[in-house]
Amino acid sequence: MMSKLGVFDLSVRYGKLTAVNDISFSVAEGERVFISGPNGAGKSSLLAAIAGEVRAAHGRIEMDGDILSGRVPEAIARRGLSMVPEGRRIFRALTVQENLMVGVGLRRDKTAVPDDLEAIYAAFPILGTRRHANAGALSGGQQQMLAIGRALMTNPKLMLVDEPSLGLAPRVVDEVYDRLCSLQAQRGLTLVIVEQSSARAGRVGGRMLLLRGGRIVADGDATAFAADDLLKEAYFGEATP
Amino acid sequence: MTLQLLFDALSLGGIYAIAALGIALIFGVMKLVNFAHGQFIAFAVFALIVPSTDAVAVMGLGAAPALVLVPAILAVGAGLAVASEYLVFRPLRNASPVALMVASFALGVVIQNGLLVAYGGRPKAISLWPELGKPVALLGAEVPMLQIIVIVSVLVVLALLAVMLKRSRIGLEMRAAAEDFGMARLLGVRANAVIAGAFALSGALAATVALVLVAQTGVADVRMGGQIMLVAFIATVVGGMGSLPGAVAAGFALGAASVALQAALPIEARPFRDAFLYGLVILVLLLRPQGLFAAASAKPRV
Repeated sequence: MMSKLGVFDLSVRYGKLTAVNDISFSVAEGERVFISGPNGAGKSSLLAAIAGEVRAAHGRIEMDGDILSGRVPEAIARRGLSMVPEGRRIFRALTVQENLMVGVGLRRDKTAVPDDLEAIYAAFPILGTRRHANAGALSGGQQQMLAIGRALMTNPKLMLVDEPSLGLAPRVVDEVYDRLCSLQAQRGLTLVIVEQSSARAGRVGGRMLLLRGGRIVADGDATAFAADDLLKEAYFGEATP
Repeated sequence: MTLQLLFDALSLGGIYAIAALGIALIFGVMKLVNFAHGQFIAFAVFALIVPSTDAVAVMGLGAAPALVLVPAILAVGAGLAVASEYLVFRPLRNASPVALMVASFALGVVIQNGLLVAYGGRPKAISLWPELGKPVALLGAEVPMLQIIVIVSVLVVLALLAVMLKRSRIGLEMRAAAEDFGMARLLGVRANAVIAGAFALSGALAATVALVLVAQTGVADVRMGGQIMLVAFIATVVGGMGSLPGAVAAGFALGAASVALQAALPIEARPFRDAFLYGLVILVLLLRPQGLFAAASAKPRV
């Protein structure tokens, strides 16, 4: 199968600090890949480099064989890559519906937009109920759903999701992942998700890349990783119960 | 008498509001305080007359019928602003806000000196739409026709701008970009288009102010944008940097306070009206340092 996303020898530096150190991996179409690892492992920097928010110091990023590295974020978004960023970054002064519509400008199939909007409201009914409310008034979990819906409205082929569980109650995290997985199945999306909790990634299921010190230290099945206490201890320093 | 004061306050405040909006729009998307805005106004004023250093002004574009003149001057203002963005601010896109601000000062100096070279330094009398100076009776007061037209035009411009920002694609993108430009770009919003759009609108607003100033004062002066730029900048600070409703409200408030002080102060204190006005401004900022309306966000630029 042709790879959806290819990352080759990618490095990201902030001054003298190397956040991502010579990473290579590829993601197949329709795959779900978790990126896990301790704080400072370079997870968010990796996503930011793929989306074009930070410039890579070295290396190449490809999507469908098309080179993304060196392009501005809006050009990358127009190639079908969408981002649910860390901290959600919803537009608080805009209404829920306006938030969803910001990313529609890049689409060529404008006639499909009303149906897509209704599909988002069907997947996240609370967003439909509050469509004319200011987005700043939503709860954390609702804002996370809005950030996901907003990314989906660009009709992406590849979606990057940064720490969707951050600051949310476990029950809400379950809900977010349920919706995310069913939307992925419906749309044939390729998902790359940064998830600090390897246990959570193991329960959801998929492939897992383990990052530490800016390098990939393990690549395999998320559920198998989560079950492997020795590996967890080795890479996270977590105590085994 | 009091009705006349009300009209004075509305027309002066309206001009301040439009000028302040021109500054707030650009600050909103770029975090740039464009100190060349006053020179944008002056440039649009001089675009009405034929370039020459003679003392007597010869109407060029200014002689055209209003239906041609108004859109043409708005286009001149928008064109100058977009050209400035392309030539001056775009190459500095990733520079610090201070560097951008200094660049805007420099741009203002360049435009002003360009005008001096083309038109000379002496103020020129020009009469635009003199027939509008005639008073009309309204609700028992004698009000110049021009003042009514100014007030109505200001309200129309504000309404159009509000509709554009609220209903149009570029308006939505501008509002999103004003809050978090980086996020808007991740959603495919083109930074260049949004910034150029904000400059075009800002330039058209500067041209609106220019038309009103010329019609009211009958003078073209290279320095005429400076004073109004100062008041408009203060209005954007008082309103809360980057807040568009704040800029409008503070513009009207400054206009009203100015007219009220002029009427209420004893004769011998009137020359110091502006000192009282800016004293009030300081008082407001002491009580509300973030401005009357805090902006949605003060995140860094692109």
